[in-house]
Order: sequence, then structure tokens, then C-alpha cells
Amino acid sequence: MLSRVASHLYWLSRYIERAENMARILDVGQSLSLLAQSDNEAQTALEPLVITDHLAEFHATGKVATHENVARYLTWEVEQASSIVNCIEAARENARAVRGSITSEMWECINDVWLQLGQKRQAGHDPINTEFYDWIKQCSHLIRGITFATIRRDQPYHFIRLGTFIERADNTARILSVKQSANATSPSVGASTNGDRSAEGEDYYSLSAVLRSVSALEAYRDTYKDSIDARRVAELLIFHPTLPRSLRFCYDEIAQLLDQLPDGPSRVPRRLAAMMKARLTYGHVDEAYEIGLLDFLEGFLKENVHLGEALQTAYLELK
Amino acid sequence: LKPNGPLEGVFDEMLQADGRPREHYAAYQDWLAGTTADAMHAKRAEADLIFRRLGITFSVYGEEGGTERLIPSDVVPRIISGQEWTTLEKGLAQRVLAINRFLHDIYHDQNILKAGLIPPDQIFGNDQFQVAMVGIDLPFKTYAHIVGVDIVRHSDGDFYVLEDNLRVPSGVSYMLSNRKMMMRLFPDLFRRHAVRPVEHYPSLLLQTLQGATEVNNPNVVLLTPGRFNSAYFEHTFLAQQMGIELVEGQDLFVQGGFVFMRTTSGPQKVDVIYRRLDDSFIDPLAFRADSMLGVPGLLSAYRLGRVVIANAIGTGVADDKSIYPYVPEMVRFYLGEEPILKNVPTWICRNADDLKHVLAHLPELVVKEVHGAGGYGMLVGPTSTKAEIEDFRQVLLSNPSNYIAQPTLALSSCPTFVEEGVAPRHIDLRPFVLVGKDIRMVPGGLTRVALRKGSLVVNSSQGGGTKDTWVVD
Repeated sequence: MLSRVASHLYWLSRYIERAENMARILDVGQSLSLLAQSDNEAQTALEPLVITDHLAEFHATGKVATHENVARYLTWEVEQASSIVNCIEAARENARAVRGSITSEMWECINDVWLQLGQKRQAGHDPINTEFYDWIKQCSHLIRGITFATIRRDQPYHFIRLGTFIERADNTARILSVKQSANATSPSVGASTNGDRSAEGEDYYSLSAVLRSVSALEAYRDTYKDSIDARRVAELLIFHPTLPRSLRFCYDEIAQLLDQLPDGPSRVPRRLAAMMKARLTYGHVDEAYEIGLLDFLEGFLKENVHLGEALQTAYLELK
Repeated sequence: LKPNGPLEGVFDEMLQADGRPREHYAAYQDWLAGTTADAMHAKRAEADLIFRRLGITFSVYGEEGGTERLIPSDVVPRIISGQEWTTLEKGLAQRVLAINRFLHDIYHDQNILKAGLIPPDQIFGNDQFQVAMVGIDLPFKTYAHIVGVDIVRHSDGDFYVLEDNLRVPSGVSYMLSNRKMMMRLFPDLFRRHAVRPVEHYPSLLLQTLQGATEVNNPNVVLLTPGRFNSAYFEHTFLAQQMGIELVEGQDLFVQGGFVFMRTTSGPQKVDVIYRRLDDSFIDPLAFRADSMLGVPGLLSAYRLGRVVIANAIGTGVADDKSIYPYVPEMVRFYLGEEPILKNVPTWICRNADDLKHVLAHLPELVVKEVHGAGGYGMLVGPTSTKAEIEDFRQVLLSNPSNYIAQPTLALSSCPTFVEEGVAPRHIDLRPFVLVGKDIRMVPGGLTRVALRKGSLVVNSSQGGGTKDTWVVD
């Protein structure tokens, strides 16, 4: 297939995944803001910006850091490349550029989402509520489902899936690192998982928010059948082999997808993916804590970016 | 619903002068009588919604926000009788064959010039004549593989060819989308009529492109200027329907005289390029150096015969207004036949006799610049003031060879669903002709309609719409 087409497909799915992740982060952020924890409202309001690395850009707008302003900024701001509205726009533009290479059902669905988003915006009350974020998530599920159900298991599919998992791994690692660092700064956590009562309450909400934002709350209960603690949350989201948003799961998929791409230029991305997969398959949460969870996650994020670049060089760039 | 009566002095496709329907419209009129304006409104709203959902749009430049617009698709079909189509089909095949012979001749022996039928400076002074094509042998001597011929019906009831589009004719995707939409909206109508199918056009097009090269199992691609081009929907649509790659200039490169596309498995050779890009943009080394859309070195590979380009480079010389009047001569000269389709009578002002006639009849005529387009630098006699006509007379006299003149045509009308109900609006017809080892076309073509009352302008950029076109038996 054409390199340009592969590139459009890869970015199409990355943008859809990014829009979904943004919706997840903002939705959970909002529900947390409803809890009576007024003392660090400014802190929690900024969290979506910290996770997605857009804090400086937000400050540059001169807006006050309220939950509402942040949500509006990350959902509807056209100047913000990663805002949901821009992600959907970019996904649709990428789809339009290759509408001959995706199924007509996929194109119609993506186009429809884009049209509906335009209508929601035109209505004049740019929504930032749970209903809206649920809709975005459902759109993403729908597009993924239609893709799964209609496209041949061929290169276009592989590039679409690679985009999804590289973006998703990035997102899970970011959420975990920000939430964990927030917890690490509060004195109770790290020392003991059974610290004093009030801190435990805060942790509970914060950690369950992490889990909910990656659809893993039920998985946690099923797996541990115990109260929520930071180390287990990290273990689940990094090393769990069957949880669809864990780093391990993402890299199992990525390695498998890379194996199906044409051989010629594949050496570098395959090697990178295999090394990361090995680390996640044979690693342990205790080792991650020995290195320091933040360092571990930062290392992972860097390598995930490297893999994206290697993929770009090997397949997607016009030489 | 009942269609409003025919316009004075205009041929109506549906109604005879006495208001009764023509035979091939009788069944439709019956059906129309049994439907209501509300039902038609609902159908049209449904059609608009579906067109928008499917993204069947054309791009408009320089418009904030709404850069993608729908081409209005009318819900009343344009119906052509099978008998009339048979004549049109024969006439089109004949005309397009003669034009291809002409193009081969003009880039080789130039017999038609030697025979004195066309003044040589009409050819050599033409911007569209590509010197680079002289002496180049093309497979099967085919130059114009895909031709869109603009046809109108005059008040005398006869068809006239208005223009031969030999470069990158577009609109066929609307023909196919209109049919799909009509079948979806009005299945009962299709049960009442034996409408000849058009859905196999992409398959015919693919066969034509595959057959345009001597290479076995050729790699055919569609070259688009990209998604900002107004016809981008059509490019993606056709590529998908044919199952071929849709490429942009940046996807192709020339190496060792061959053309390749960049793929995830490395370079892959390209044999046939169905290009939707004008000559001047196709190769920055040979034509416009500022073109970012083309492929450097493509012309040299083409001249070596390593790749087929459809349509060929240099076909534009035959669809120029200054060459148009000679097409009937081409039919006689190359085929030894009388032309089946009429040209609009054209006076060539460089001829003293023609000029005399034109000068004597300026208020009745349309006078056009030979290389002009888009209504620029022309005189429409009937709608001009005396002073304008006298001014134009001086301009014309100062350089007669720059002008041709034609009678003002009354385009036929067809009932169309508009504000006032079902009322007559002016239409034209663009059938698409495919040239391979034989000449093929699907029945009908794209009917364009001027939706504004009294307007003769059918262009989509100026309030024009389209209609599904039925050939019925």
C-alpha cells in the first residue's frame, strides 16, 4: 500500500483514540470536581492539562484554572491541536484523504461523527458534560467496531491498529504517572498502604478515578477482590496481560501487528517493540517501584515515542 | 402534482406544446399525478441528508466554514427515449473516434493540414498544442480515453454538441450517485420503468484503462491533485470503485525511465496513470515549474512509452473553441462519413464571408473569444445594448481571427421540483464516452439543470444542480 495512505490511516486512528482518551480524562476530572475537596480544586482542575502535557499552553491563554475552563479548553479550543474538536477534525481529514482505502461504512461513520460534532457546536452551548463525553467515547467505540467488522485483515487494518495502541499506551502511562506523582507527594502514600484514614479516603477517589478513566475499575475488583491500592493499580495498568488498556496488552498487540507488516524496513521498529514487550512480559511491579514508578513510566513514554518515530521512518515517510 | 406547462419557444423534455406528455414520459406523469408536494419535499430532504452523510460534496475555495457544499440533486428524472439514445450513442462514438484520429494525425503526419481543411496557424498558434508530443507513438493511437461531451437540445428538438471535454472531464460520480439515490428514494418508479443501468461505469472505465497499455496485468493508478481539489470526491469514489490506488504527485517518482509509487513494501512500478490533473501541472520539469502537484520527470518516462497517461498529454488542442467548428470536417475526413451529431452553427470570424455575416447579425449572435472561457470577453447579442454591440464591433474588427460566433441557443427544459412546484428549468447533458479497442458508454450521462428560473447557466458553481438521467425502453 502507499506510504502516504498508511500514514493517514495510522494518524486517523491515533486521533480517534486521542479524542476518546481526552474525553475519559475530562469526564473523570469533572466527576472528581463534584466531590467536596475544595482545598485543592486548583490542583485537580489542572490535572487534565498535566496529563496531556498542555499546562503551559493553557496558562498562555490567560484563563483562570477552573474545571470548566480547562474542560472547555481541552474539548472545544480550536487553537489547541489536541482538543477533542481538533482530534475529530484531524481524524476526519485523514479519513477523507484515504476514503478509498477504508470501507464506506467507516467513512460514513467518521463523517457522521464530524457532522454531529459540528451541530453540537453550532447549538451555541458547547457541551462539556458527562453526556457529551460519553457520546465521544461511544463514537470511538463505534468507529473501532465498524473497522473491526468491515475491513480486511490487511495492511490498512494493521496500521490503523498500530495507531490505536501506540496512542493508548501513551495515554495509560501518562494518566498513571500524573496520578501516582500526585499521590507520592501526599505523605501517607508510599510509606504504607494502610495510612491514616483521611488520606486513604482521598487515595480511594483518586485511584478509582484512574481506574475508571481507563475502564479498569471492574477489572481491578475481579482481579484483586480487595481494596484499591496504588501498587496494585500500577501493576494492573502496566503488567496485566489481558486488560485492553494496560501497557503490556498494548505492546503484545503492537509486536504482533509489526510482525505482519512487510519485512524489508521492519528491523528497527520490531526490535524496539520486542524489547519493550519483553520488559513488560517478564517485568514485575516491585522492580518498577525499585527504579521508581515515575522514572519507569517516563522511560516507557520515551521509548513509546521512539517506536512511533521508528515506524514513521520505516513505513510512513515519503523517502 | 402536475408539471407546469412548457415555456414558449423552448423544447420541453416532458411536455409537448399542447401540454400532453411525450410518450416516454407518460408513465412518469401518471406517477407524478399520484404524489404530493409534501411527499416530494420529504424525499428531497432525505436525499440531502444522505448526500451529506456520504460526503458527496464538492469543495469551494475561499469560503469560511462551509468549504464543502452539496450539489443540489433534483428528484425529478430527466428521461430520454431508447430510440433517441441509440442515435446519440452512434453520433458520440463517431465524433470521439474522429477526434482521436485527428489528435494522432496532428501529432504525426498532419494530413488534415496538408489537405487544407484547417488553417495550420489554428493548430500551431494554440497553447494546448504540445510540441513534446510530436512524433510520439501512443498505444493503440488513443489520445482521449475518457471524453465528456456537452450536448444541448435546441427549440427545433434536435441535439447539438456544445463542447467536447477532452482533458479531465468530471461529473460521472454525480451521475452514479444520483442513480443510487433515486433507486433508494423511489423504488416504485424503477418498477414502473425499464431504466437502462449505468452502475457498471467504473468497471468499463477500469477495463478501458487496463486496455490502454500493452503491459499485461498493469498497475493502474488515479492521480489526483489532492483533497483540496473541487472534484476530490469523484477521484476517491472512482478509485475505490475500480479498486485502484488513489495517488498524489508526491506518491510517485521517476527512476531509470520508469514511474514508481512509494509503498510500505518499497517502490512499485506504475503502468497506467488516470490523471485528473491538467497538462500544465503534471510535470514541473516540463511544464509549470511551480507545480507541487505533479511528478518530476513524468513527461520523459511518458515519451519513452514506459507509462500510459489517460487522457494523453496534448489532447486540449482538440477541445478548443477555435478547433470545435472543424469537428464535422474531421468526421468526413477521417471516417468518410456524414456527422450524426450536429455542431452548433459557428461562424469563424477569420473567414471574410463569415465575418460579414456576423457583423450584419451581431444583435442575434453570441460572439466568443477562441481561447476564452468562463464567459469572459464575449458578446451576447440579444441581451446587449446598442452601444455595447457597437463597441464590440470595433473590438471584433481589430482582430477577427480571435473570435467565433454562434446563434443564441434556447436550451431545452425539463420539469424540476422547485419552490413553485414542478416547473420547467433549462438543462444540458454530458454523456461520458470511453475509448479503448472499441468505444463504449453507459446509457445517459449527467444532466445538469439551471435551478434559477429563466437561467441558462447549469454550472454547479452558479446555482446549477443535477438530475438522474434515464434512458428508458
